[in-house]
Amino acid sequence: MAATKSQGSQFTLFMVGLTAVCAGIAFFDSGVAKVALIAGAVVLAISLWGLFKIKPLEGKTGGTPQPAVMKLIGVVVVAGGWLFVLFGLHMTSSVGGRMVTSIIGFVVSLIGICYVLAPAVNKNAIWKS
Amino acid sequence: MRIPRIVTWTCALAILLMAGAAIVARADAAPSASAAELKSALAVAPTTSALANGDPGGVLTGTVNDVPVADPKAGLGLGDVANQVGQNKIAINFVWTLVTGFLVMFMQAGFAMVEAGLCRVKNANHTYMMNFFVYTCGLFAYWIIGFAIQMGGAAGNGNLGGLQSLNTEHLITLFGTHWGIFGECGMFLARSTYDVGVMVIFLFEMVFMDTALTIVTGACAERWKFLAFAVSSVLMGAFTYPLYGNWAWGGGWLSQLGVNLGLGKGYCDFAGSGVVHAVGGLTALAVAMIIGPRIGKFNRDGSANAIIGHDISAVLIGCFILAFGWFGFNPGSTLGASAAGNLRIGSIAVNTMLAGCTATFGALLYMWVVKGKPDASMSGNGILAGLVAITAPSGFVSTMGAAIIGFIAGVLVCFSCAFVENYLKIDDPVGAVSVHGTCGLWGVLSIGFFADGTSNYGGSWNGVTGSVTGLFYGDASQLVAQIVGCATLVGFVFTFSFVLNWILDIILGQRVSIATEVAGLDLPEMGQLGYPEFVFKPEPDFMLAAEKLAVA
Repeated sequence: MAATKSQGSQFTLFMVGLTAVCAGIAFFDSGVAKVALIAGAVVLAISLWGLFKIKPLEGKTGGTPQPAVMKLIGVVVVAGGWLFVLFGLHMTSSVGGRMVTSIIGFVVSLIGICYVLAPAVNKNAIWKS
Repeated sequence: MRIPRIVTWTCALAILLMAGAAIVARADAAPSASAAELKSALAVAPTTSALANGDPGGVLTGTVNDVPVADPKAGLGLGDVANQVGQNKIAINFVWTLVTGFLVMFMQAGFAMVEAGLCRVKNANHTYMMNFFVYTCGLFAYWIIGFAIQMGGAAGNGNLGGLQSLNTEHLITLFGTHWGIFGECGMFLARSTYDVGVMVIFLFEMVFMDTALTIVTGACAERWKFLAFAVSSVLMGAFTYPLYGNWAWGGGWLSQLGVNLGLGKGYCDFAGSGVVHAVGGLTALAVAMIIGPRIGKFNRDGSANAIIGHDISAVLIGCFILAFGWFGFNPGSTLGASAAGNLRIGSIAVNTMLAGCTATFGALLYMWVVKGKPDASMSGNGILAGLVAITAPSGFVSTMGAAIIGFIAGVLVCFSCAFVENYLKIDDPVGAVSVHGTCGLWGVLSIGFFADGTSNYGGSWNGVTGSVTGLFYGDASQLVAQIVGCATLVGFVFTFSFVLNWILDIILGQRVSIATEVAGLDLPEMGQLGYPEFVFKPEPDFMLAAEKLAVA
């Protein structure tokens, strides 16, 4: 499909909605801002719905569907490594102990990216067909 | 003779009173030494008639006559001179920060040339346009909300007048200590943040943010839908970058690891190896994973095909533009050239140059010795890798440390490019993930090793007294803080970007159609070829076969 007028319109709506929402938050103490916040959220939702409606018009793409569960597991492992680092800072107060827990958590996150997520996003890669 | 006696006493009393008044008046009129000096300076200052004859040597211009006087009746006073000194300090720092910020803005041109040069000619317009439009998308998003999230609680910078209106940070309390999460004032730069100092810091931080955003366009070039790029960039400028930026630079929890947990001076990142480059590189990795490789990049057996860029001259000239702009990136991060250790700007600039130099050696020599040729594109990536790596430690290390950090980055980027392509099977046309992600993380870690404890930016850093010092100079806890920063980049920033762009892929689709990709994105996406008068060479056979094999 490539770029079209409908894409341009939906992106414009998206920007207007986002701006209105932010204006509503920034000046929340005024009545007009509260209206802008609600109106902006509605416009934002309309734009996202519009973008979703025109997505199929693009046609076949080179990106292929990948297993969602495996991607989710990868995301959990990556985030979990970070959370372990934060938890480890309060498990011990010694520099050496915190060094060990931080390195372990950091490595777990890297493993999540390299050995769970990377295979997940290439499971049904176009070049495998 | 009573009357003459009364008159005599009255006259004597009057004389006494007059004498007393004279004494008081004389005391009031007695000039201090400083006032006398000011008066004598005023007396010898050039007159208007002298200045009317011209001042070719510059010896008459800029004198005590140019100091504004608060009370014209009282004349020039010490208070006037002190106020002018304060103004001068702030003005010097404003000019320094703004001019270096302008240099960083110019780096957008460098990024555009590097990325477009490494892509095929049929995608040149699209690639240039992504780098052009990302400036607009990021700036607007940052103005409406991003700056507030990042810097809304960053008050206290003495270089720029205090920034006291940036005084609201959202805190959470965990284990008895307060942790900053995001700022809450500065949206649209309105109300109390309509302030001269805030304008300066906004411009400076904004151009850094745009650098992070533009990194992603390189990794996703040649198949990223322009609409998806625009939406993704707006959201990155509004949320992803500012969140981590607040934690590192806006008074957030990462910077407070020293104050709260005794980990060195907290997470340190002088100019943004982590905040800018690793955020950009890891977001690039996330989006590249979601978007998938270019058609024809990998063969059925997983081996990679080299897809050659169309303009190596643009690549190398772009690298020089980036290296030039980096003189704004690193030295500018002092946020001033007057007071509080800011005279270290020369050291920072030299560290920046040296790291780029040794990194180029590292990459070029590695390619020459191992692969047999001094590869131009990898040499360009090499200098960038060194500049990325030195960005964080530039304000804290010696030239020796800078040279070592740069050389390691130059070799590291070669290994990383091969690893990302051959083992992770992630297609990155320009090496953005390796240059900015991998070397950005290395830059963050290198502070924990090489910071030498000689810097002095006002006697403290992140609220902890003393100088930033790494493991090799006696402080292992600084390395722990840096590792926590790296873990946050990988564990939070990457995850956040991956999930956000995954949702965007579900809603609007990140990738162009196969027909568009094979034909080149210029005409279908942008409506115009990058080089309309060029004759395209035919595509290799495997590219033409790819469309028939597509299963999406």
